[in-house]
Amino acid sequence: MEQQESGTSRRAFLERLGAVGGTAMVMAAMDAWHVPTASAATAPPALTGAGKGKTIVILGAGHAGQVAAFELNKLGYRCIVLEARGFAGGRVQTARRGFTATELGGETQRCDFDPGEYLNIGPWRIPFHHRSTLHYTKQFGVPLETMVNDNDAAWMQHNDGSGALKGKRVRQYEVKTDLRGRVNELIAKAATSGQLDQQVRAEDRELFLDYLASSGRLKKDLAYRGSDLRGYVKPPGAGDQPGTIDDPYGLSDLLQSHLWRDFQVGEYTHPLTMFQPVGGMDQIAKAFEKRNAPMLRFNCEVQQIRQTDKAVTVNYVDTKTGKTASVTGDFCLCTIPLSVLRSIDTPFSDDFRAAMDDATYVPVGKIGLQMKRRFWEEDDGIYGGHVKLDHPAIRQISLPSNNFQGQKGTLLGAYLLFDGATEVSAMSLKERIDYALAAGEAVFPGSYRANFERGFSWFWHLAKYNLGGWANWTAEARKDSYPKLLNADGRIYLAGEHLSYLGGWQAGAIESAWQQIEKIHQRAQQA
Amino acid sequence: MKVAVTLFALLVAAPCAAQDVAAGEVLYKQKCAACHQPTGKGVKGAFPALAGDALVLGDPALLSRMLLVGKGGMPTFKRLMTDQQIADVLSFVRSSFGNSAAPVLPDVVAAMRATLPASGGPTGPLGN
Ligand SMILES: Cc1cc2nc3c(=O)[nH]c(=O)nc-3n(C[C@H](O)[C@H](O)[C@H](O)COP(=O)(O)OP(=O)(O)OC[C@H]3O[C@@H](n4cnc5c(N)ncnc54)[C@H](O)[C@@H]3O)c2cc1C
Repeated sequence: MEQQESGTSRRAFLERLGAVGGTAMVMAAMDAWHVPTASAATAPPALTGAGKGKTIVILGAGHAGQVAAFELNKLGYRCIVLEARGFAGGRVQTARRGFTATELGGETQRCDFDPGEYLNIGPWRIPFHHRSTLHYTKQFGVPLETMVNDNDAAWMQHNDGSGALKGKRVRQYEVKTDLRGRVNELIAKAATSGQLDQQVRAEDRELFLDYLASSGRLKKDLAYRGSDLRGYVKPPGAGDQPGTIDDPYGLSDLLQSHLWRDFQVGEYTHPLTMFQPVGGMDQIAKAFEKRNAPMLRFNCEVQQIRQTDKAVTVNYVDTKTGKTASVTGDFCLCTIPLSVLRSIDTPFSDDFRAAMDDATYVPVGKIGLQMKRRFWEEDDGIYGGHVKLDHPAIRQISLPSNNFQGQKGTLLGAYLLFDGATEVSAMSLKERIDYALAAGEAVFPGSYRANFERGFSWFWHLAKYNLGGWANWTAEARKDSYPKLLNADGRIYLAGEHLSYLGGWQAGAIESAWQQIEKIHQRAQQA
Repeated sequence: MKVAVTLFALLVAAPCAAQDVAAGEVLYKQKCAACHQPTGKGVKGAFPALAGDALVLGDPALLSRMLLVGKGGMPTFKRLMTDQQIADVLSFVRSSFGNSAAPVLPDVVAAMRATLPASGGPTGPLGN
């Protein structure tokens, strides 16, 4: 009982909801959990006028801070960006050879991947509809490549169900094709036996059946007996080798396997293909950094913010020298995550502060594994995409979309969220890697551990200047508290992914900055 | 015989209906230790120490609210833990690291949960 309960997860929750309220209820819950959506703005605000003679103090050099500095500077404002870390980008970081990082309460890790190998420890994929992010990659000429976000050839393996498919390693295309075929067959038969006459107009019936038959690969008698879409047991080839298709799985086995729960990618939100910058996501941060260099001040940890009705003063400590200093500006744009900001000495009203406390942050982390050989490509023909598991914490293993057919490769052995993240992050660095290897070995027996060379793990709730992966707003907090933070407290404005409906996406940080600099600019023009 | 079985069942079930500190210790390692540290001392400036903390030792209802709702870097455990689990882990924390406060009963957690709005789960199921 206790064991079972401690595994309670989003999925278990959705399962329970589904049992109680059906799919509609699950969908409603997923909606309330805010499955990320499109970006609303496609270009920075078209601002006119000049910022000459005015100083804007920007706190944080993540995307929100960098976008603000880049755009405000163009208008003639004097921008000073205070960044606690020794580099720009915030969450947009890529671990590669020589990269070092230290978690709170942890040892310093030094990435020793081979040259060319890397792991995006923060953001890793950009959907086509994040036009704000893509606005800057295009403007700065950051080369993009396809990120294979779904791969029907990738394995899936579940032990949590029952029936013939329990524990069996199967290809996603087999399961998808058979499910569609089996379900379409049932609906088609119901339609031809008059059971759907109420729901499907007589003049639509033929098209309806056509659709079911073609998408489900049904035979003339509307039965599903397998199809080439589910792959071959003996592949077709030259000469007299037509190929052999296996019998499809039965509906009951498919349902009882629980494998269908893993088909969540596709369509709009998490499109089948996304983008990734060639060489690592930090290329975007670096492109900004190059252009913003004169405005950026590193190793400046903000400790206190004060304001009058004329100016904002920010006191910070230089973490290299331990010396304190201060800067004063006409306005301040603060992009420090709320999880961190709440412990900084700020002049905010009680109401504003209470609103800040209403956001919680999601524990998130990643484990990257450098493999000596691309066995997933060479042995199994899987190029990118996600292998799906029902492991208690590791739900997918993501295969690299760069350097196909290269020698080595670095895969994302674990992308952990919520209690999976808290649990694994409490382990030692070595234990984390072992944990990830054990999960992968189950689906790539004989190859996973044998090819493992080096690992790197990183957890954002243990990152001193983040204290969490991204902000999480409940429906109530979104309604009551979130709008308050969109307004200035005196001369201080907030920005960042946490102030968007694109939480946990780079686009959210960028568009939030766009929105807030427009407000600052308008106010500065009036003064 | 039947009486004996029932009695035995009662004895075994009894602590479970209240709180189970040993189970709480396991949960602590899984869900809390990464930030608040195995020692309960936290990390200065980031994660509050649980040893001697006023909220930890204070009103069990308010303390369970913290786990259910979260605050800042502290995530919400509303959808991740049952009332029983929250009672177990809080009872463990209140009797460890030099703390000695009364255990938290699952009923207290349930009552607090009932006062909270229905929504409030974690963000999207996929990660970004
Ligand atoms: C694991 C993970 C996966 C993600 N995946 C994706 C993805 O695939 N695609 C995508 O588009 N997005 C993704 N995101 C989200 C994306 O990384 C963020 O939304 C975005 O980078 C946030 O930018 P920001 O400027 O709001 O915050 P940040 O990048 O956190 O910037 C805040 C800055 O403030 C600084 N700071 C903090 N405290 C102080 C202080 N006291 N003094 C001075 N400076 C301070 C920090 O060092 C940091 O540089 C992911 C995030 C994570 C964690």
